[in-house]
Amino acid sequence: MLNLAGMAAEAEQNWPGLVQAWVDRRTPLCELRCPPSEILPEVVHWVVDELLFRFAGLIVEQEPQEWDLRYLFYSIQGPPRWARLRVRQPLDTPKFPSISPQVHAADWYEREAEDLYGVTFEGHPRLGDFVLHDDLWQEAVAPMRRDFDEKAALAERRPDLDWKFRRIVHDPGAFAMPVGPIYSGVTESVQFLLETVGEDVIRAFPRLFYKYRAIEKIAEGRNVDGCLLLAERFAATTAFAHALAYCQAVETICRVKLPPRAHALRVLVSELERFRHHVGVIHDICESTGLSVAASQAAILEEDLLRLSGDLTGHRYLFGLAIPGGLSRNLKDADCIDAVEMAVKILKRLQELDDGLRYSSSFLDRLEGVGIISPGKAWEFGLVGPMGRASGLGGDLRKAQPYASYEHFEFDVPLESEGDGFARLRVLMAEAAQSVRILCQVPVRLEAGDVAVGVSLQSGRALGWVEAPRGATFHGLHLDESGVVLRYRMITPSFVNWHGFHLAAENFAFQDFPIILATVGLSATENDR
Amino acid sequence: MFFTVFAVLFLAFSVAGIVCALLSPERGVALSLGCFGGVASVAMGAVGVCALISDTPFEVRLWSVPTVGPLMLSVDKLSGLFLLVSAFVFLATSIYSVEYLQAYLKHFNLRTLSVCYFAIMLAVGLVLSAADALTFLVSWELMSLFGYALVNYQKRDEQSTRPGYLMLVMGEAGFVAVVLAFLVIGGRGPGNLLFSSLRLHSASLGWHARWAVFLLSFFGFGVKTGLAPFNRWLPQAHPIAPANVSAVLSGVLLNLGIYGIIRVNADLTPLATAGPGLVVLLVGAFSALMGIMYANRDNDMKAMLANSSIENMGIITTALGAGLVFMTFHQPLLAGIAWIAAFYQMTNHSVYKSLLFFGAGAIDRNSGTRLMDRLGGLSKHMPLLAALFLAGALSICALPPTNGFVSEWLTLQCLLQSSVLASRSVKVLFALAGAGLALTAGLAVTCFVKAYAMTFLGIPRSNQARQRARVRFPIRLAMGLGAVSCLLLGVLPTYVIPILGRVSELLTGVNAAAALVPPFFNGAPGHSRLPHSFLSDFHNLGAQVGQNLLPAPGLVVLHRGHAQNPVVFAMSTSYMLPVLILLASTLFLAVRFVLARRSKTVRKPVWAGGLASLFPELTYTATGFSSPVRVTFNAVFHPQMSEERLELIAGHFRNSITRVVGEVHVFDRVLFQPLVNRASHIARTLSRMHHGRLNAYSAYVLGTLFVVLLLSRTQVEEHVVLSPALILIVALILDRLL
Amino acid sequence: MSRWVISGLRQGVVTTCYPTRMETAKGTSPGLPARLTPMADEFGQELVDVCPTGAIHFERGEARVDYGRCIHCFRCSRSARYVLEWESGFEWARFASDGSNFVKGAASWPKAFRKSMHIRVVDAGDCGACLNEVKQLNNPYYNMHRLGFFITPTPRKADILLVVGPVNDHTRLPLQAAYDAMPTPKLVMAVGACALSGGVFGPSFVTGTGVKDVLPVDIEVPGSPPPPLAILHGLLVAAGRKPPMPGQDGR
Ligand code: SF4
Repeated sequence: MLNLAGMAAEAEQNWPGLVQAWVDRRTPLCELRCPPSEILPEVVHWVVDELLFRFAGLIVEQEPQEWDLRYLFYSIQGPPRWARLRVRQPLDTPKFPSISPQVHAADWYEREAEDLYGVTFEGHPRLGDFVLHDDLWQEAVAPMRRDFDEKAALAERRPDLDWKFRRIVHDPGAFAMPVGPIYSGVTESVQFLLETVGEDVIRAFPRLFYKYRAIEKIAEGRNVDGCLLLAERFAATTAFAHALAYCQAVETICRVKLPPRAHALRVLVSELERFRHHVGVIHDICESTGLSVAASQAAILEEDLLRLSGDLTGHRYLFGLAIPGGLSRNLKDADCIDAVEMAVKILKRLQELDDGLRYSSSFLDRLEGVGIISPGKAWEFGLVGPMGRASGLGGDLRKAQPYASYEHFEFDVPLESEGDGFARLRVLMAEAAQSVRILCQVPVRLEAGDVAVGVSLQSGRALGWVEAPRGATFHGLHLDESGVVLRYRMITPSFVNWHGFHLAAENFAFQDFPIILATVGLSATENDR
Repeated sequence: MFFTVFAVLFLAFSVAGIVCALLSPERGVALSLGCFGGVASVAMGAVGVCALISDTPFEVRLWSVPTVGPLMLSVDKLSGLFLLVSAFVFLATSIYSVEYLQAYLKHFNLRTLSVCYFAIMLAVGLVLSAADALTFLVSWELMSLFGYALVNYQKRDEQSTRPGYLMLVMGEAGFVAVVLAFLVIGGRGPGNLLFSSLRLHSASLGWHARWAVFLLSFFGFGVKTGLAPFNRWLPQAHPIAPANVSAVLSGVLLNLGIYGIIRVNADLTPLATAGPGLVVLLVGAFSALMGIMYANRDNDMKAMLANSSIENMGIITTALGAGLVFMTFHQPLLAGIAWIAAFYQMTNHSVYKSLLFFGAGAIDRNSGTRLMDRLGGLSKHMPLLAALFLAGALSICALPPTNGFVSEWLTLQCLLQSSVLASRSVKVLFALAGAGLALTAGLAVTCFVKAYAMTFLGIPRSNQARQRARVRFPIRLAMGLGAVSCLLLGVLPTYVIPILGRVSELLTGVNAAAALVPPFFNGAPGHSRLPHSFLSDFHNLGAQVGQNLLPAPGLVVLHRGHAQNPVVFAMSTSYMLPVLILLASTLFLAVRFVLARRSKTVRKPVWAGGLASLFPELTYTATGFSSPVRVTFNAVFHPQMSEERLELIAGHFRNSITRVVGEVHVFDRVLFQPLVNRASHIARTLSRMHHGRLNAYSAYVLGTLFVVLLLSRTQVEEHVVLSPALILIVALILDRLL
Repeated sequence: MSRWVISGLRQGVVTTCYPTRMETAKGTSPGLPARLTPMADEFGQELVDVCPTGAIHFERGEARVDYGRCIHCFRCSRSARYVLEWESGFEWARFASDGSNFVKGAASWPKAFRKSMHIRVVDAGDCGACLNEVKQLNNPYYNMHRLGFFITPTPRKADILLVVGPVNDHTRLPLQAAYDAMPTPKLVMAVGACALSGGVFGPSFVTGTGVKDVLPVDIEVPGSPPPPLAILHGLLVAAGRKPPMPGQDGR
């Protein structure tokens, strides 16, 4: 295993004159500057397959003179380290080599960049019709460009009435069932195309970005406080995690050191949110299998946790709590202890429910072997969070790249390898238990003192990351000296995992579709932004 | 008197049709076919009606052939019924052809078709009126050959002649069996080949010979009827044939197999034991089930209709078998009812199947495809065609008050009558057959819901299906004739059953119709003869109220219960129709004038989950619709799936998935392929005879027939067992000569 | 199976006493700032500036909060020198200010829904919180079935369209299609600050300023997200079984 200096040296040696390396010991990070030529895929291959870094995401930024693409990688073994590949290109040549053939996880990032910035990735076999739906928007529209004229774009657009789904099943008599965007009971706006010849569904593919609200675009030009509202509220079932990632980015830019109490309380609230989120998904799973008593009991637990959150922090979805520099309000020690005790009680009831579920063969029958994602595929698609961990793909940012004093807490990262619906349920259950385990350690770490420090805004770029309930999330922020956001990038676990959703939805019985959907527990709003 | 007139008319118009076809200009051929064919078939029907009415058969003695004896024609009630049914199909087909054949003009030689058409009409007439074995067999053979010529009419390449060839080969195999059957009956020589002498002679046949006759004739005619498992030719022959030929093939030629089975096994050599009857019963039920399963699977409309013909023939055969069994158990009344059911079902099948084939042909012609996966939404621009097709589909699904319901009700009810039989095992077999038919009836509904919905409802699935087309008058008339007949046969069973009863009376000696359609109402003649207890039970049905309002015969009564358990099983489509009409119109009026006053109807596009509009590829296909059936009966269909994936970059960016389903028909898989494999080396040794000349094969068979008959008449008095050997020898000699 | 029956029975009844009595359990509602607070001009102006969504209006010595815009960001209760009182409660539903014919009085409010109402929920780009709160209505705690409210999968059977989210570009057409597919009489209920005013997202080039841009709204339920009880109140108002929040005319 190379250290960062060694890595920099080897990179420069491997591609002499082409790759320039630079090490930042504070983060710690090794930046490799790479020309936009065919060596980019080689370097990526080296970083991922030989140095065993994981691909975190791609940040595209339009500088006044040039395109600046930053491919982020982080280590999941050994000491926490980052690698960043930086590729620049003059503004008038928006062309880059595609790295998707090497790192399939980059597929959607490149498609997204192509749709929003109008930069093309040569070698990518399938660009277009992604974020901006082709039946509404012309392909040429690139809203994230600095010179994007929304009035002209809206005035010029012509809905394409003949737009059709891309179908890939060509059996004789094959047809497709569209599901959504408005379907079933209370569901997010996502569309699925289920391709079938009648009984079994051969393949299901999601069409996302129905909820595209251009958060990254409208963030630009806002101040830090205004942008915080977006970070917090674009995906509210995991609001605190995203707000925290954003705050951490601001804090890194402004070099703020947080009081220990703030860290401890952030852990407390984070784990409370994770616990509540997982119980919510467990409720969805029970409901999708039609086990109504279990579903009701899980629903009661979810509402109990919502009420607990509301009682403790004033808001059921933990809004308005995280601010750059700490927390917006101090929580009383006694309240925290009460909350932890309550969480322990709720966990006990959850475990009783779990016991019941494991004795219900009708329930297990519907989960076992359903929606299998093999570990190999999970690695290729770089799945994160419980969905990845159920397929044997570890890597929890709380361990790999600790933040908010997680390094002081004891907990395990549950791992399963079957990759089916039941494995995902087991991971959720185990993670809920680990969250409560962390919660129990919080009261002893609550030092007296402030929960927030003042932040004096500076210019700069930084990345904030959090292991959100659905998996790793990265918020990249670029501020100017007056604290105005120049670029705000959100890399979310749902975006990564929806990319691999179709792996779980191949050759299944139609009635299993809601179950597959519930067990992966993905959020459209977190993906669409 | 009338007989002669009509028979001569039939003959004259058929011959005139041939002549006219040869002489008239190409464009007039279709019209001449329609006119002469129409009149000839009316004459044919008239012969049938005369036979049904008159009490004595109409007989004509033809010339005498040395060593074979006199040849004779005779039209009895049985022949009469079949003539009438065939005449109906020929009439409708003739009308239909006037318009339908326009599409063939310039592409195909209509003269050939026309000549073959009249020839097959004559052959059918001859088969049905033959009263000696030689005439019967020769005309049968002619019918097969012309049938082959018609089916293969639009042959284009090797691929499209194969099914016709298969049809011919199977038919000839059956024919050989029939020849052998006649040999066994007449083997020891009653002196001539007249049916009347065979009838007398057969009484002396032994147990073995009877079984031999039964098995040979049942196989031989069964192949023609399309009974399982020797029916693989049928679903392949129909799609390549023109629609009018399909109508004749299904509506006439298949019936002749039934005719043969009845003629031999109920008339010439009446069965003595229950065994053969049970075989007929079970083969029938099995055929019905297999037929409808494959009909469900097929998406080619004509292949589907062909499989549905197999199903219907299966139902008829089941009823036939039930009758045969009842006869051997000395229950002539029940046998009569069963045969009435069989005849009824046969009549219905001819009517609605020709109607449906006409519909399929019209669709094929207008849209250029018969694949239901590519059709859809046709009811919008062909509403009349859709309505007529629907009438046929409802009838074939046996929904009351259509004709299909009456005959299937009778069939199922008479299978339930097996409770009177003594043998428990027979009862079990009857129950099995009944269960099979019940499942068949259910599957028939899914099959035709699919056929109608996928073809006429929804949105068009291809550009071809979007084409507007006019359905011209002759097609509408032909199909309208069928639809009206379906309804009439459905609502007037009490008038149809006595006619069919006359036929079954001929075979059983008992008037079953009187039992089925008894006079119920006080005023009706014969009412007083009914037992008092029955009348008082019947009182409960409210019939005494109805007697003043309803036409007298309207109820079909099957079962009157016992003294301990007096119940009446009856049904009436005649009374049901006014009730249905009344209900429907009340509902319509209620909706129109009561509900509509308070709310208004608004038409909105289909809700598709928020999608702007629904594309054809997003709606169910016929394959998808029948998928549950295919999955349920997976063991029968046994599909072999091979999946082919195309990916743009190894492992990722999947571009297409194509799964090819290889399916081998269950009979091929289970029966024929193993047989073929076993016999292939035997075949190799005999391969010298295979030189692929078709006329040679037919010559073998015809020659064999003559030689064998001559031999059996003149010198050989030995055992029948020698006959196959003889045939082989003759075939070998012929092979040398040709 | 019996295991579940027993465990279900052991759970007991948890359902709220609302609407018979007020629910008083903790954490059921985030509350909202007081609607009307008299104060000095300097404080008032500062409050107006502190509110990120422009929910606070200051006129003639009174700070008024427009609930339709308030997103519970708590800034007015902590970052100003003169903080607003925080009020608990959840009965916030009101008739839409510039709403449908029913609201304007051009048509009489449908009476057919008093006993039972079928709801089609449409997600028009919400953040997930409102949707999750709507989902909680089926929770045993709230159990809206007992009040005759049912979620239906198809708008064909729906009486009321419950819209969450600010209505972004991609969901606009499906939302309209759902509304068009509903039989008349039909109601539209906008739930959550985003659906009422665009919230933190709108207006932008892909997001409008709420459902009223697209459909005639009847009932508005403020809150970000409105807790389940607030949505329940909204449904009861729509059914004509509860009065709307007094003094709120949408302004
Ligand atoms: S809570 Fe926030 S949004 Fe609501 S009134 Fe106060 S400052 Fe405005």
